[in-house]
Amino acid sequence: MKYELVAGFETHIELATKTKIFCGCTTQFGGEPNTHCCPVCIGLPGTLPKLNRQVVRYGIMAGLATHGEIAEISKMDRKNYCYPDLSKAYQISQLYAPLTIGGYVELSSGKKIRLHHIHIEEDAGKLIHQHGDTYVDYNRGGVPLIEIVSEPDIRSIDEAREYVEKLQQVMRYIGISDCKMQEGSMRCDVNISVRPAGSEKLGTRTEIKNMNSINNICKAMEYEFERQVDLIESGGQVVQETLRYDDATNTTSSMRSKEDAHDYRYFRDPDLVTIHVTKDEVEEIKASLPELPTEKCKRYVDELSIPEKDAQLLTKYRNISEYFDKACKGVKSPKTVSNFIIGQIFSRVETESDKEIFDVAVSPEQLNELVKLLDSGKIRNNLAKATLEKMLDSGKGALEFISESDMGGLDENAMLELCRQAVESNAKAVEDYKNGKEKAIKALVGFVMKNSRGKADAAAAEAKIKDLIG
Amino acid sequence: MVTREDVENIALLSKLFVPEEELDSLTQSMQEIIDFADEINKAPSSDEAFDNINNLSNVFREDEVVESYNSEEILKNAPEQAENHFLVRNRE
Amino acid sequence: MGTIAKIHEMLVSKQCSCAELTKSYLDEIEKSNGELNAYVNVTGDEALKTAEKVDKKIASGEEIGMLEGVPMTLKDNLSTKGVETTCCSKILTGYKPIYNATVWDILQSQNSVMLGKTNMDEFAMGSSCETSYFGGATNPFNTKHVSGGSSGGVASAVGANIAAYGLGSDTGGSIRQPASFCGIVGLKPTYGSVSRYGLIAYASSLDQIGPITKSVEDASIVFDAISKYDDKDSTSKGFSGDTYSSLNNDIKGMKIGIAREYLDGVRDDVKEAVLNAAEVYKSLGAEIVYFDLPALKFALPVYYIIACAEASSNLGRYDGIRYGYKTEHYNGTHDMICRTRSEGFGEEVKRRILLGTYVLSAGYYDAYYKKAQNLRGTIVKAFNEAFTHCDVILAPTVPMTAFEMGRAVSDPIETYLTDICTVPVNIAGLPGVSVPCGFNAKGMPIGMQLIGKSFGEAEILNAAYKYQQAAGENFKDTKWGVKL
Repeated sequence: MKYELVAGFETHIELATKTKIFCGCTTQFGGEPNTHCCPVCIGLPGTLPKLNRQVVRYGIMAGLATHGEIAEISKMDRKNYCYPDLSKAYQISQLYAPLTIGGYVELSSGKKIRLHHIHIEEDAGKLIHQHGDTYVDYNRGGVPLIEIVSEPDIRSIDEAREYVEKLQQVMRYIGISDCKMQEGSMRCDVNISVRPAGSEKLGTRTEIKNMNSINNICKAMEYEFERQVDLIESGGQVVQETLRYDDATNTTSSMRSKEDAHDYRYFRDPDLVTIHVTKDEVEEIKASLPELPTEKCKRYVDELSIPEKDAQLLTKYRNISEYFDKACKGVKSPKTVSNFIIGQIFSRVETESDKEIFDVAVSPEQLNELVKLLDSGKIRNNLAKATLEKMLDSGKGALEFISESDMGGLDENAMLELCRQAVESNAKAVEDYKNGKEKAIKALVGFVMKNSRGKADAAAAEAKIKDLIG
Repeated sequence: MVTREDVENIALLSKLFVPEEELDSLTQSMQEIIDFADEINKAPSSDEAFDNINNLSNVFREDEVVESYNSEEILKNAPEQAENHFLVRNRE
Repeated sequence: MGTIAKIHEMLVSKQCSCAELTKSYLDEIEKSNGELNAYVNVTGDEALKTAEKVDKKIASGEEIGMLEGVPMTLKDNLSTKGVETTCCSKILTGYKPIYNATVWDILQSQNSVMLGKTNMDEFAMGSSCETSYFGGATNPFNTKHVSGGSSGGVASAVGANIAAYGLGSDTGGSIRQPASFCGIVGLKPTYGSVSRYGLIAYASSLDQIGPITKSVEDASIVFDAISKYDDKDSTSKGFSGDTYSSLNNDIKGMKIGIAREYLDGVRDDVKEAVLNAAEVYKSLGAEIVYFDLPALKFALPVYYIIACAEASSNLGRYDGIRYGYKTEHYNGTHDMICRTRSEGFGEEVKRRILLGTYVLSAGYYDAYYKKAQNLRGTIVKAFNEAFTHCDVILAPTVPMTAFEMGRAVSDPIETYLTDICTVPVNIAGLPGVSVPCGFNAKGMPIGMQLIGKSFGEAEILNAAYKYQQAAGENFKDTKWGVKL
């Protein structure tokens, strides 16, 4: 029997605020243990939380960037569970009234992975287990997170990969998180189940945690898909449980223990008040958002006639697309700009992380200037290419390498003079042409081009030479 | 009806040990309190929304860094600590 | 004249130095605390240091504020930097906060002389002070009787003149009930008027800090000082204006309401004293109106469900890792946490944690917690409606007078019933002040309660002050403490 994979994601993203969600401690990564802490984030008795305004704003931005609806009224709840990394024995989160509802992430196929909601919450501290002893560091405790909860709309590993990449891309675009999976600023839990292909009924799902890269997510899902299929095929039943992925062995194992009775007893946090977002605020935030990658990509294809594949490369990172947008300003052919970026510039910015930063020696304004010289016919393509190389080497502008005399076409007289010289000094080629060897004319045109240092218009030269030969 | 299992379960959630010999009397006592609490279910059903006492909303902090405490202060009251960490030493 | 004003005048007129005054308070504590058990921690050295600072100021001719140099006390659930704060629980033994509660920041900056921290029911859960890990504080009128709870230590100390005033906290009556039992004044302010920052939480949506004092004007002075907006508490609103300037306003025409439900099940001597107070008000030109408040019937279970639910969450953090008590022998982290909590919490606290966990757990949330929240809305609405008929509500503070030590421990539900007249105010977030209004046959004090509209402190203190002027015989000193 053929089986179908059904998966949904719960994605935690650390927000790039300066301070924690409920106190003024820094969110800076690293630092000596327990040095980014205060009475509030270590949960000293009597302390009270105060919500960071920026967390709400970033949450709304995330909701808008994924086409969600921003709740007019949302509230903070307590999720109660006692664990040493949680200084208050509850995590302040949202359950009953989250900040944003619905929305979707659109894959390149056009398929929409629906979102259930996005909520804001606090991160826990860090535990280090050593020889059975537990060391606790609360520097990360209270760092703001959003949790993006999808519907179980994902049907393949490829879709899962693209979903995570798209989320990462869009959250980076709007600047609310660096989404680094290795550093834990983006973390995914996957709910996964299988069912016979064509069936409508959902199977029993498991939840996989602890994957620190997109590749690991895909590997873990593959493993878990096969494990569930094998189990069902051999007459067994999938048990609903939480699994931990181990990338060393590429297996999943149960995280359940008798000590973890899971009943979070959510209730409204009485220490925090209602969040009320007006339509005007939503409109203001919407207007402040940059153009998002999917829309940008569509615009490049539809309005700038960039091939789809190239448009995707240009929009993968916000810095590249912004570079492209600036370099395109007022040019006749955006495609030329795109070709320069994807060709010559990309060959010098090879790694993905360099592409994301996109710190290029040539500024978009300089590239713009070069392309405009080309557009106006003042220089030819070959010269432009060579010049760009020199610009990339030096960081200097195009005019540093192109002299006045390189620019502009030849005037009529100079052109006529050069053509005459070509005919006079290439008797053999003239002879050949007259004897019907069409190609021989190329040598004559080449003479003109060479002696005009590329400034002559080849087609015009050819016509003139033909005239002269008769 | 409060059962022994209920009491065992909520004790586990509350991270409290209930000695086996106290389980029955505690179940009984919980039942009495719950019966008392059940009074509210005699009240006419109401969908009166209660939000927070003074109907406050949008009380925020600005995202500005305030200096943290030094780790010595943070760890001052810890029953056990090592290497700037709170510590649970595993004994026995 | 109230105690605070009297001390202020003594200091300013140099009848005695602040250090001498502080010493006499410390001496009286030394003499009486063995029997009263009001203080769990006396901070004499710090008190004298502050007193000397005040004396220097006076000597140099600087003006001093009304509360400056006045010897006072804080309930042991108010965080005091560097001074052990235990909530009278074994689980917080040795805990010295690294920050101050906002109320203490305010009072300390005015050179208040803190004599020490006072006794309370463990985590403020109790109505007799007897759930304290250190044993209960006793009643200055008769030390075989309880001081009341949970702020029993503050009430005992103020009643016995071993503190000029004190701050307590009130979640379901914990300021008003012991004030009533000890024959003094206790004000539970409107929720949000006094910052909760640094008050070790019992039930966050109900807790409020307030003064326990010998007189109404003292309560007004202290309330005016501490009722400031605090940006560390998201539920803080602060109190605009003051209550002191309107204390002596004429109350002619004031409508004082009596809800019949408040008199149900109240002992005869208490009922009689409250109705006598109504007569006093009539003689002062106020109008007495009777009305019904049927929603009160559900107030007590609503209170216990909400308070215990919040408490079960608030008390989850006591796990032996960051502060306080930690068990000696254990096997792994989970075992350590469970043992620490089982050994560190007393029976009543455990009972309320379990109840709170139960009403929030899957399958019971809707029937208990959610339903209680809805009824809370109903009760708020009922009070709003009541205040269309009257300006303040007059009620007993407690259906009885201070009972004998040892009685409360046996039956939890019977004990819960002592809170029946006080909890509605917390549920609705309203201000309430308990004022002495008589004595029973055995000479134990009876208290009445004046309940105001939201942020109506000025009105209820005005009404209370007028009563105090007309019926001063109900405000009695005991044999204990400093004679000013």
